[in-house]
Amino acid sequence: MIRVEEYKEPQHDSSSQKFHNPSKLYLPLSQHTGAPSKPCVKKGDQVSEGEVIAKASGAISAQLHAPKSGKVIDIANWYHPTLKKAPAIIIQCQDEEKEYSSCKDKDIELLTKEKILKTIADCGIVGMGGAAFPTHVKLDPPKKIDTLIINGCECEPYLACDYRLMIENMDKIFRGIRLIAKLINPKEIIFAIEENKSAAIKKVNLLINTKKFDLPRLEPRQTDLPPIRLVVLDTAYPQGGEKQLIQLITKKKVPPKGLPLDIGALVHNVATCFAIYEAVYLNKPLVERLVSFCGDALATPKNIWVKIGTTLQELIDKKILEFEKEPKKIICGGPMMGIALDGLDYPILKNAGGFLFLCDQVDDSEEKPCLRCSRCVDTCPMDLLPLEYVKRVKKEEYASLSEFNIADCIECGCCAYSCPAKIPIVHYIKIGKNYDLNGK
Amino acid sequence: MTLTVSNPPHLKSKVNTPFLMKQVIIALSPAVVASINFFGIRAVILIANCIFSAMITERIILFLGKKSSTLNDYSAAVTGLLLALTLPPSVPWYVASLGSIVAISIGKHIFGGLGANIFNPALIGRAFLMAAYPRILTTFINPSSVDAISSATPLVLRKFSQVITPTTALFFGKVSGSLGETSAICLIIGGIYLLIRKIAGWRIPLSLLLTTTITSAIFFIFNPSWGSVWFHLFGGGLLLGAFFMATDPATTPTTKRGRYIFGIGCGLLIMIIRYFSGLPEGVMYSILFMNALTPLINRYTKPRRFGT
Repeated sequence: MIRVEEYKEPQHDSSSQKFHNPSKLYLPLSQHTGAPSKPCVKKGDQVSEGEVIAKASGAISAQLHAPKSGKVIDIANWYHPTLKKAPAIIIQCQDEEKEYSSCKDKDIELLTKEKILKTIADCGIVGMGGAAFPTHVKLDPPKKIDTLIINGCECEPYLACDYRLMIENMDKIFRGIRLIAKLINPKEIIFAIEENKSAAIKKVNLLINTKKFDLPRLEPRQTDLPPIRLVVLDTAYPQGGEKQLIQLITKKKVPPKGLPLDIGALVHNVATCFAIYEAVYLNKPLVERLVSFCGDALATPKNIWVKIGTTLQELIDKKILEFEKEPKKIICGGPMMGIALDGLDYPILKNAGGFLFLCDQVDDSEEKPCLRCSRCVDTCPMDLLPLEYVKRVKKEEYASLSEFNIADCIECGCCAYSCPAKIPIVHYIKIGKNYDLNGK
Repeated sequence: MTLTVSNPPHLKSKVNTPFLMKQVIIALSPAVVASINFFGIRAVILIANCIFSAMITERIILFLGKKSSTLNDYSAAVTGLLLALTLPPSVPWYVASLGSIVAISIGKHIFGGLGANIFNPALIGRAFLMAAYPRILTTFINPSSVDAISSATPLVLRKFSQVITPTTALFFGKVSGSLGETSAICLIIGGIYLLIRKIAGWRIPLSLLLTTTITSAIFFIFNPSWGSVWFHLFGGGLLLGAFFMATDPATTPTTKRGRYIFGIGCGLLIMIIRYFSGLPEGVMYSILFMNALTPLINRYTKPRRFGT
């Protein structure tokens, strides 16, 4: 674990805005872990907001919906942050807004578990913290869950979308948490936040201390759901990582190649809880999300509700985002794990919490010889020896990489961040992993 | 718009190699000031000579090898300074220069330069001089006398004359010995600075010092003539070795458990040499020996796999 310079100041204080009128939307079929969804519309079709445009295919997959009413103008390859180019449904949007009306808490009480789970699946909810794992699969675990952890850490520097969401919509997040709790019936519910998010901590405390959200149980035989307990963590990176958070809270480690549920834990991001609330209460599919746009190249950093599929170019063209300086690096995600993009044509996906536009904050220091100072070893949250990977990948000794459990690496970047010789360790690890997995 | 595309992380800490090396020099400055205070112009000349020779050697080797990667990172200066602090103040200039040349060329560059060396370069330089000029390297002068009368170090006095130097003298440094090792308090200040600024790890110094403390305490209980805990901690090169030599990143284990083993091993060897060998002091040989064991220690102390 390391302490990283946060750069959160301007974004933290910037209230969320809306951008709901893009002209075109680019919706990749692969916005989640698992099989890409299968299009159920064709070129020329008219679609309305919230309509399914691609169906989940297979056990681990997710539905895709039209974020705006409009016309499907093409289904073709388009820019994708991780896959470079991937098939996407392209919609020419019409300028009309759909209203979603909310159900009452007491109506929600009447819903069965199956109904809730189906609604979440139908609404295409995926993990919004980054992994984009289909939420309905995660909420139907084959094993008993003891500890439900709500992740409000947002430990990546710059990003502030989860923080803003917590400040502005904590009551809705709590309703989402209640729904999750009803589905998996955990022994304890822990809300984890880092201490640098004081306003969010206050909100959680306020809501915990009112009885308003202790909704009655779902099934008569079920005992009362446990109360939500707040855990305030020191600010450290990468404790918002699933394995690290579980380790901190439960003192248990997820086994290699295992899942959190193997040790009775389940982690959900606050933004996912909010999406679950919207799905169940409003019957609103995942068609928009709160995204942080930050970095020193922007005139003003902003947190904006954008429709899924909106491109960065559109936000620039419509003057939603304005450059103060020409960016040298554009990153999808946070600065520690985010992906550097080569242009502005990339769409905003379901799991994109932020985009960075960096100018002077770009680090371009030259790689120097390894000192063997072990800073990479000391900061590795997975107890690995990162310097060994660098040494072996440079010598092309790929066979020995698995002896050092290279597959366990979560690519959090602590090693490369701390390296005084400025060795891009994660870069070497990615090369090594590729050989380790694919033998090439 | 030209965009850089590279793998994450896109943020890097501000700590780099030259910064680390400069911090080591800052940490050594109390000991340098003390040595100048005790030995005057001799100390200035010796330190300047060692640093200068080390840097010149580094430049020549990098020039011949057409490498520039470690040119201005202060690592050669640190090696030269450390070597100077381990030498008796009265060594002739050519001996000191030779030590620096050997330290940089054989100690460091033969193995591939910065980070690739197996042995602590400064100690290699000193070990070479010890073999080549044993008499010069074991003749020490008393800091309190003006005209450089040779006198025995506290460890020699204990071993061969059964005289124990008072702890306060060791602590503040009015004893004969190598340039940088005479004042315990200055080395402690520098060492604590290194640990607080996280320039050096705490595992090796802590385990080394604890091992020597425990060993010397046990021996002292049986017979006070073995020397007290304070005597062994503050006498000779122990503190210089523990804080500045045994923490050299390249030549010490990279695993966390390995670093404890390294520290304990150094501590035990130092005490064995001090108690039972023909030599009065064993810091240099102990660290060099443990340097040689480092690859082996690394291999057998791999961290336990996460979640198993």
